[in-house]
Amino acid sequence: MYKIISEETDKSGMKVLNIDKSDLIELMEDYKDRKYFLSSITGVDMKDHIDVIYHLHNFDKNDYICVKVSTTDEKVPSITKLWKAAIVDEREQYDLMGITFEGHDNLRRILLPDDWVGHPLRKDYDLNKVQYVSVDRDGNEHVSFDDKEGW
Amino acid sequence: MKTGDMGVKTTTLEKALEWGRSNSLWPLTMGLACCAIEMMATQAADVDVARFGSEIFRNSPRQSDLMIVAGTTTKRMAPRLKRIYEEMPYPKYVIAMGVCVIQGGPYVDGYSVVLGVDKVVPVDVYVPGCPPSPQALTYGLITLQKKIRNETDR
Repeated sequence: MYKIISEETDKSGMKVLNIDKSDLIELMEDYKDRKYFLSSITGVDMKDHIDVIYHLHNFDKNDYICVKVSTTDEKVPSITKLWKAAIVDEREQYDLMGITFEGHDNLRRILLPDDWVGHPLRKDYDLNKVQYVSVDRDGNEHVSFDDKEGW
Repeated sequence: MKTGDMGVKTTTLEKALEWGRSNSLWPLTMGLACCAIEMMATQAADVDVARFGSEIFRNSPRQSDLMIVAGTTTKRMAPRLKRIYEEMPYPKYVIAMGVCVIQGGPYVDGYSVVLGVDKVVPVDVYVPGCPPSPQALTYGLITLQKKIRNETDR
């Protein structure tokens, strides 16, 4: 049985559950049986750790709940086996936040080109190193730090 | 020599071509972000851009003369935008609509936005605003028509 570390209610009345990441799959299975659907996955960079936040929605009760998981090694178990919608959301979080979802079959970048260096929504991402994108005749994208080789 | 009551109008072939081109600018549907909503409003009934000969927004670059770049151009979109521009037949013109397209706008510190679409394609008329009103875009179109006809603006 999973263990909820703390439970709180935010300003809008939404229930927020803080759990350990080893309990994540078990809790999500429980909520899936209670007809909750995955609404979104987001990540927050807190500098010493990363919070991964799952929003679940029940259509019958019109109830939103929020599940927060904290990770220090940037790894979180994947929930793509439960909801197929998580495939795209987890790829986006991997792309922009650099969170590795263990068990995801196709974890690669979705918004940025594959050669992009770094994860832009992280606090330690250096905005001064500007990267430029170009496409060759075969449709392959190239990323370069030289502004003459792309836009 | 009398040619009827209509009279005679003399012109050069270049001027006749410029007159025809400037009054049949068919825009390309290049709505990249929120400015596209104002571009749609320009095409709709309130400020009817068909009064100036631009009523048909074409979906193919091969049928259009004018590219209205409406919305934030990201770095990933820029090579595609360049390719679509190269698929348009000559003579072709570009209007940069909105402040994102002109110099980056609110995304000037971002990692993913091209700071000025004039780095990608040559721009004829810049229409500033966030977003520009349909009247501003119509004024930009009239400015482009005057530019094609080689007239001074004021």
